[in-house]
Amino acid sequence: MTLAGSLPLAVAAPLLGGALSPLVARLHRRLALVVGLLSMAASGLVLGLAASRVYRGHPLVHYLSGQGPSHGQVLGITFVADPLGISFALLTVLIGFFLFSALLSEFGEIGEKELGGLAALCQLLLAALIAAALTADTINLFVWFEVAALASYGLTGFFLERPIALEAAFKMAVLTSMAGFAVFLGAAMLYADRGALNFGQLHASLAGPLPRPVLVGFALLIAGFATKAGLAPFHGWLPDAHTPVPGAVSALFSALMVNLGVIGLVRCGVQVFPSGHRMLGLLTAFGLVSALLGALLALVQDDLKRLLAWDTVSQMGLLMLGFASATAEGTAGAVLHLVNHALFKALLFLCAGAVVHATGMTSLSQLGGILQRRPLVAIAFTVGVLSISGVPGFNGYVSLDLLHAGLEHEQPVLWAARLAQVITVAALFRAAWLGFLRRRREPYEHLAAPRSGMRLSLIGLGVLCVSFGVFGYSIIRVVAGPAAATVLHPERYAALALGRGGGLPVVPVEFSYFGAKEVVPALVELALGLLLCLAVVRYGEPAPIRPLRRLHTGSVNDYAMFATVGVLVCAVTLLA
Amino acid sequence: MIVANYLVAAAVFCLGLLAIMLHRDLIKVVLGLSLMEASGYLMLVSMSYRRHATAPVLVNPPSGQSEQSLVNGNVTDPVLQNFCLTAIVIGVAVTGVFLAIAVRAAQHYRSVDAANLTELHG
Amino acid sequence: MTEKARTTEKARTTARAQAETEREEIGTIRARPGEVLHRPVLAFALAAGALAVLGLAVTGLPTDTAQLPAVARQAMRIALPTWGQTEVVSEVVYGSRGFDTFGETFLLLAAVISVMVLSRGREPRSEYVGESSAGQREQAELDSDGGSSGTDQQQDEARSAERREESEDAAPAELPDDLPLGSRAPDRAQAMTVVVRAAARTAAVFLFVASIYLAAWGFTPGGGFPAGAALTGVAILLYGALGHQRVNRLIRPNLLEPIEVFGAAAIVAIGVLGLVLKGSAFRNFLPLGETGTILAGGSQQLYSGAELLEVATGLTIAVFSLLGMSHDWAGDDSESDSDSGSRSGSDDEGEDET
Repeated sequence: MTLAGSLPLAVAAPLLGGALSPLVARLHRRLALVVGLLSMAASGLVLGLAASRVYRGHPLVHYLSGQGPSHGQVLGITFVADPLGISFALLTVLIGFFLFSALLSEFGEIGEKELGGLAALCQLLLAALIAAALTADTINLFVWFEVAALASYGLTGFFLERPIALEAAFKMAVLTSMAGFAVFLGAAMLYADRGALNFGQLHASLAGPLPRPVLVGFALLIAGFATKAGLAPFHGWLPDAHTPVPGAVSALFSALMVNLGVIGLVRCGVQVFPSGHRMLGLLTAFGLVSALLGALLALVQDDLKRLLAWDTVSQMGLLMLGFASATAEGTAGAVLHLVNHALFKALLFLCAGAVVHATGMTSLSQLGGILQRRPLVAIAFTVGVLSISGVPGFNGYVSLDLLHAGLEHEQPVLWAARLAQVITVAALFRAAWLGFLRRRREPYEHLAAPRSGMRLSLIGLGVLCVSFGVFGYSIIRVVAGPAAATVLHPERYAALALGRGGGLPVVPVEFSYFGAKEVVPALVELALGLLLCLAVVRYGEPAPIRPLRRLHTGSVNDYAMFATVGVLVCAVTLLA
Repeated sequence: MIVANYLVAAAVFCLGLLAIMLHRDLIKVVLGLSLMEASGYLMLVSMSYRRHATAPVLVNPPSGQSEQSLVNGNVTDPVLQNFCLTAIVIGVAVTGVFLAIAVRAAQHYRSVDAANLTELHG
Repeated sequence: MTEKARTTEKARTTARAQAETEREEIGTIRARPGEVLHRPVLAFALAAGALAVLGLAVTGLPTDTAQLPAVARQAMRIALPTWGQTEVVSEVVYGSRGFDTFGETFLLLAAVISVMVLSRGREPRSEYVGESSAGQREQAELDSDGGSSGTDQQQDEARSAERREESEDAAPAELPDDLPLGSRAPDRAQAMTVVVRAAARTAAVFLFVASIYLAAWGFTPGGGFPAGAALTGVAILLYGALGHQRVNRLIRPNLLEPIEVFGAAAIVAIGVLGLVLKGSAFRNFLPLGETGTILAGGSQQLYSGAELLEVATGLTIAVFSLLGMSHDWAGDDSESDSDSGSRSGSDDEGEDET
């Protein structure tokens, strides 16, 4: 049993834990969550051992069922642990651990059947994310996509007393199922035309002019993964799905599940698909629209979790801008931002969830005064907001700077990204002020203090946010640089997937922590964002955003129409 | 002539898509998704079909063919048939969860009209 | 009690005020039943565009005269020597791409658990859960918002039928054979007539054996999935014919869940054993038996058997959870929604039919 061969154990552990949780919950309800913690620890062990080799430049490749390649044709399923995949898998395990710890302390007193179901679905979702990060096979990626989707339907509808939970679950189910069929159809068409399932084999077969089925197949794949990632115009389900769910579950969705879509887009759109056919332009366009739309709509939300969800749409757009930039800084920045976003978004959602769970109130206009009553939660939220705003010393500063540096050769895109950043700063500071920091005269009817598990998660995530910021250089050198290597050199990834071995080239990433080019724009964006925040808090919703709000009618038919428009845009762009 | 199958599958897929975009009844939306699933099955099985070929089974080859000719590829595509099985299982699972969500949503909102399920908007 | 009434009243007024302002803000695009004509035109146009794109794609696909892809030919070549299989689709399902099937199994498990979570009854919670009171507030808003006029009579009839059903669980079920011929609808007996019951019992035995045969001695190994689905069909047949009181003894979540978990754990074990003993997950680690017998295929037969257990129990749990869904999460307009699910059937006196 080699190290590469033991990678499926990292997937099997949470799957087994998920299967056992409903039974275990009957013995003692918190035991189900403890099983979750243990399965995350077991996965973490396997992935950590693998990571020690992968990060040193030796990616691990394994062919499952012993079905290796023969003359460049791969029938079996391939696992390629490249730095990008291993980073995402480790991130999943780490944040999963913190989420189970938070659930253990906050949700220990709900019914045993519901707790067993919650623990089981969370573990199944986490297992699917780990597998999707490591797989190098189109249909296998689709299968894990669907596992994650089905687990998320149950998680969205968890609080059956809230009618909006069922509404959100329905809309999410419709849009994600459409996405699933699109991915499936796309993968099947690619197999029928090219005879390839393995990413490396597929990449090799795409040399030369591409026929229509291949282009439409890729358009469907892009549309499907973009839905999962929450990019506009496929984003209709995302804000709805985050509002009624438990705090830890919305952290799971925003920090980890949307990254499944991003990984799918990067694998299929950037690594497998050959350059050309305006693919990168398409991804940049989606990224741009999402970044601006998400930021604008986050600015005017009243529901705290919905605000954070709209911000996720914006950050996913930013990630796509980075991955589609085809530069070392842009790609490394995007990888780092994926990691950082997971950390600070999980922190923000855990705080928001703690507040909703403790008080029963969800809207910003009614909240406030948390700093005086529950300082830990308020400070944790503020740490998250400072990270997302790119304040030097926190992790967001490093990744945002790298991203912006990578977009230098496309000035319009860069300025749009900076504008989105300013609006994001305004939106998040507004949330922090209205929800947590301002004074509130009337006392809360209920405001239980967070217990040790939640405190551990909040402090842990906060410390990670700060340390990823302080140790920015090391993180870039160890994690972001190597991860960018497989994205920037798709032929190396293809060769790995086909079992031809070899290491990864070193990607030089330039970053100076206190350079003027980095610090000055960050501080200017911060200042402008704070001004905008003051204006919005004082004068209310800006008029230009109202038509955008009206566009999101909440009807599932309309969101399905937006998604269809998106699919047609993908197809027309690639076919033309 | 298998192109006819492909076109029918594409048409059924678009019919399902139309049902999701047009109909406001929750159950009709679920039926639209079932149509999309069914079109997927038809598409996969049609893509696996080969003229003058037999099933990918290695016992009792039909007259005129030997086991060797089967092994060399005079059969329909088994890999696509595997994907079809996967799709069927996914279809069953998704429909089950959908119906549970639809019933619960109807209990809360007291209607199956998607236009009434717009509490989350903007 | 009064404090609670006060908070609900306050919630209702604030909710109503909020709803009013929101309706002003959003305007007429908020879809009202019966309006918004642009949607059909747009929907047809977009569907036509999708058809055009898909049509362009499928007309370029290889037709039925193309050669099989190389991976398919590879599957045909290795089926007998490496995996001991005569049926190549099963070889692909349980052998070469066994990890896909592994994912699919847990996909079904995720769906079953999702259905269980969505159809669960209400359990007591020992401390304050903020989302519950948010939910009460939202439900109150919803009830005051949309008028349920015109459906009141239907709603009352449905509710009283549900309550009667819940209360009847204590009493022995009537059989339709005991009712006089020509009685008026509705027929409230749980089971069906003696002919149907006898036929169902006979058919169930045959179907059960046929399902097991499908997995054990069909084109073996393989057939776990369809056999599991057929077993679920047997369960539903018996439920329909005999009524739920009779089948509840055997088809209970407490009995089926451990079997499902066992099936899932067995599949994980098969993968891990393949990894530990042969170096690659889901590789065959048992000796290949004689082809066409129950021992063919080595560990694939175990895989198929575990799949059968898991699919049969999982689908049955899902179907019966859906059937057993009650109405205790969304209270009626006139009731409070904070008590638990079971109600005593104390208001049956109004009914005088049959």
